[in-house]
Amino acid sequence: MARNTLNEKFSGATRYVLDDELAGIVNVSMALEMPLLLKGEPGTGKTMLSHAIAESLAMTLIVLNVKSSMKLVDALYQYDTLTRLNDSRFGDSSRDVSNIEDYIKMGKIGQAFASEKRTVLLIDEIDKADTDFQDDMLDVLDQMEFDIIEIDKTVRAKRRPVIIITSNAKKDLSDPFLGRCSFHHIAFPDPKMMRKIIAVHFPDIDSNLMENAVSTLYRLREIDNIEKKPATRELLNWIRALKSDPDFKPKTLAKGNIPYLGVLFKKSQDYKRAVEATSSSRIF
Amino acid sequence: MLKFIFVSWWRIYFSIKSTKFITKKLKLYLNEQMFIDFFYSLKNAGIPVSPTSFLTLQKALDMRLINSLGEFYTSARAILVKSERYFDVYDQIFAYRFEGVEMPEYEGIEIDDISMAMLEEWLKDPQALAHALDIDETELNQLTPDELIEYFKARLRDQRGRHYGGATWIGTGGTSPVGHSGHHPGGMRVGGVSRNKSAVKVALERRYKDYSQKGPLTHELISEALKRLRNMIPVGPEDKVDIDKTIYQTMKNCGEIEIVFSRSLKDRLKVILAIDNGGWSMDPYIPVVQTLFDYARDQFKDLKTCFFHNTVYDVLWEDPERSNKPLSVENFATFDPQTRLIVVGDASMAPYELMAADGSIYVKERSGKPSIGQLKFLAQIFPHCAWLNPVSSQMWDYTPTINTISQIFPMFELSLDGLEEAVRHLMAQ
Repeated sequence: MARNTLNEKFSGATRYVLDDELAGIVNVSMALEMPLLLKGEPGTGKTMLSHAIAESLAMTLIVLNVKSSMKLVDALYQYDTLTRLNDSRFGDSSRDVSNIEDYIKMGKIGQAFASEKRTVLLIDEIDKADTDFQDDMLDVLDQMEFDIIEIDKTVRAKRRPVIIITSNAKKDLSDPFLGRCSFHHIAFPDPKMMRKIIAVHFPDIDSNLMENAVSTLYRLREIDNIEKKPATRELLNWIRALKSDPDFKPKTLAKGNIPYLGVLFKKSQDYKRAVEATSSSRIF
Repeated sequence: MLKFIFVSWWRIYFSIKSTKFITKKLKLYLNEQMFIDFFYSLKNAGIPVSPTSFLTLQKALDMRLINSLGEFYTSARAILVKSERYFDVYDQIFAYRFEGVEMPEYEGIEIDDISMAMLEEWLKDPQALAHALDIDETELNQLTPDELIEYFKARLRDQRGRHYGGATWIGTGGTSPVGHSGHHPGGMRVGGVSRNKSAVKVALERRYKDYSQKGPLTHELISEALKRLRNMIPVGPEDKVDIDKTIYQTMKNCGEIEIVFSRSLKDRLKVILAIDNGGWSMDPYIPVVQTLFDYARDQFKDLKTCFFHNTVYDVLWEDPERSNKPLSVENFATFDPQTRLIVVGDASMAPYELMAADGSIYVKERSGKPSIGQLKFLAQIFPHCAWLNPVSSQMWDYTPTINTISQIFPMFELSLDGLEEAVRHLMAQ
């Protein structure tokens, strides 16, 4: 793995196969100090990318998992009133009750800002939150600072973090949001890329198994009316399952006999359809 | 003959990749004018590119982040294009601007737009258009709007073949031979070729959507509009610290801490959704009503859905087939009056179905109460009620029953704007 921490250029990590296109986009976004918005089918490695960037650039990864009920302030900081109340009554802690700052805890974005070293900030599944959250958050990321109202203090980012935002939504995010991000859509990998990905995760894999597994996956993705098609993540888990089964032989896949379908299809409707589709092909 | 060149993605990609440009040469390629042209061709092709993002791209070039055409391709895309839907168009324009590939014509988009405009003209003044196209009006009369659009498209393609660049052959901006007649506001609708009435309605509905640039009402749009439709009340275990009360109680106890817990606020809005799912008149609206229904099922914890055909008589049905689970209208009096009643229907029917005591088109429903009475009864029980009508509000005046019903139920168009208004009305105290 080529790694160049001096120029902080991203070129891939041990468990992540990066295509040139995406590498270029990551580097440009980092240089322009813009958050990178990643979209793409679930299971194609959106989240894994930030892990890979953090690993490759030897930075700490801070993950903000967005929840639907989340308010922006939760991501920035928390004011622990109860502890303060308790301390003010019993006064047996090392904290200074009159200093509110002792009771401010940083949220994920706050941590990324406060860190002395440059960090990778992953904001995962931004689409879960409502639009207000998204727009407000972008203001914070744009200004690289936020106010803590309770102590009337502004927190400024010491080192601008590398920001990766992922979204699963089919809908587009708001225009001002998009305007401030650079964008990439991770396409589903082609078979060639897929083989590379498998090789990275299973360096000792039998080529026969790899061939059969890959062709089976692409065949299964062709089944109609599947809500959640199996993606890279499912394939890797499935291969892990196949490898751990001592009775399994790659040849059976070619015959259309597919074990552990439940690893690939996780919705009961999809599973039923996949079973139907594969069992009917076995007759012929 | 059509001269469309469909350059597939990989072809461009490899043609770019195979050519390694050095920076100097790249600069030569990317002189300012070319850059600006590139920006405007993206904009003209309908990709929403903003000047800010264009400046960002310039900045990236100034910072010498981009050193080859390949890098320019990916970086410009990441910075300028913000949705994968436009990636294909971007590829084509890029290939045209930087590789000299012939400019693709946006056949799909353009012909769709123009044929839509033609349909519009046709609905306003069939004679003029028939004349302009040199076709028999009666022949076109027998076509459904969909067939009409197909027909227009075929005509357009034909026309283009003969005059290159003939895209302005029929325009929307008033330069076309057909033109915007303007003095036939709904001529057809009033005069009424009765056979075509339903079809015209469908077509106009679509045209309106097209016109407003809003596209179909998607799940997301509906959820955005209905988000405010909530009734937050405290439920669940008392596990949330109420800071204000805690401080108050603690002070009252002379500093002896007393923590006050309260329930968290949750949405407990009761909603009854009554959907007209009968008959052909609602058929064109099935997708939009379906979307609304799906959203309601996800969103509202306490939702009762019932169905009816055209209007409400003695019963509403809990099953979509309207045969097994009747729900007597009188029963509704026992429900919580704070329940929000939302009726979805086109409210279009023959007047006697609404007014006459035996108006129902089903023989079994003969209680002697006219439907209008039942509707008034419902509106009285539930002060917070609304009628969502998928028919475009511009058309309401032409159907008497819509008028009558909108006097009983506050009626809103089943569009984004209409939904917002309806929500405002439903949440008003």
